[in-house]
Amino acid sequence: MMGVVDKIKELDGAKITIQRENRIFVDVDKDRVIGTLYSLKLMGFHQLSVQNVVDRIKDGKFEIFYVLYSHEYKINVIVRTWVDRDNPVIETADKIYPSAHTWEREISEMFGIKVEGNEDCGKPFILENWKDIPPMRKDFDSVKYSSEHFVFRHSEGENE
Amino acid sequence: MERMTEEQVKTIANMLRKRSLWMIHYCTGCGAMELPPTMTSRYDMERFGLAPYVTSRQADILLITGYLNVKTLRRVITVYEQMLDPKYVIGFGSCALNGGVYWDSYAVIKQLDRYIPADLYIAGCMPRPEAIISAFRHLMELIDSGKADGYKRYKRNLAYYKENQRKVLG
Repeated sequence: MMGVVDKIKELDGAKITIQRENRIFVDVDKDRVIGTLYSLKLMGFHQLSVQNVVDRIKDGKFEIFYVLYSHEYKINVIVRTWVDRDNPVIETADKIYPSAHTWEREISEMFGIKVEGNEDCGKPFILENWKDIPPMRKDFDSVKYSSEHFVFRHSEGENE
Repeated sequence: MERMTEEQVKTIANMLRKRSLWMIHYCTGCGAMELPPTMTSRYDMERFGLAPYVTSRQADILLITGYLNVKTLRRVITVYEQMLDPKYVIGFGSCALNGGVYWDSYAVIKQLDRYIPADLYIAGCMPRPEAIISAFRHLMELIDSGKADGYKRYKRNLAYYKENQRKVLG
């Protein structure tokens, strides 16, 4: 009988890192993400806990990760992929994990990532009347934006 | 019997008003955490005639509990304008006062009183229930002496408040 970890190790085109007994990283190319997610769901990873993005500004990439969990094996599998910062386009995973629909709306608003196949991406989700670059990108200057749009209170006796 | 003057009517109205304040239950930030002990038996704010209430039309006090971001501000202004006169606003915690720990956030407004008139601020992060009770007592004194006139200032300086609101909300 083959264990689930051995099955994960046999995934095509994936680099497996076993960080702990119950935490496995699966690094794949952008094109293989949907296939990998589908294979993992068939193995028993039914829950998408988080889908989110890390801005790797030094490498010029966005790291997109999917945290999957299996209640059967008690294992977290983290599927990671990288897209270019200049033209960030990913494919939707909402056909496999329906909850990805909402996560993708959030990442497309907060990071400006285009999600193909998700028709709700691009619609306003959390931010209202946002005209600047997406706020969760590392090159977004929060202090500058804040001081331009909102007025600071200066207490008495402060040098200003 | 001699008719009462307008001044006397106001004095009596204020005296009665301060003893029955209803507070709208609109919790904007983390400061709402301090309200359950204030409302319930531990600190029991009902002994001062204060009670939480669910609708804006019947409420007297709008308590801004904690940070206020752009998205919430739009709703707060709607709630504030729905409330009937006289109405009082208390800014609660350092976030409503000057942004607090969210001073550099892209979403959090810094000064509450630029957008709606605040009668009173409670400083601290978080203010304890004692501080809230103390603020309510202070608000009662202000009402009694006729100094809690935020709703009048809002009407008088409507252009100023609306301009500030438009700048942020678009």
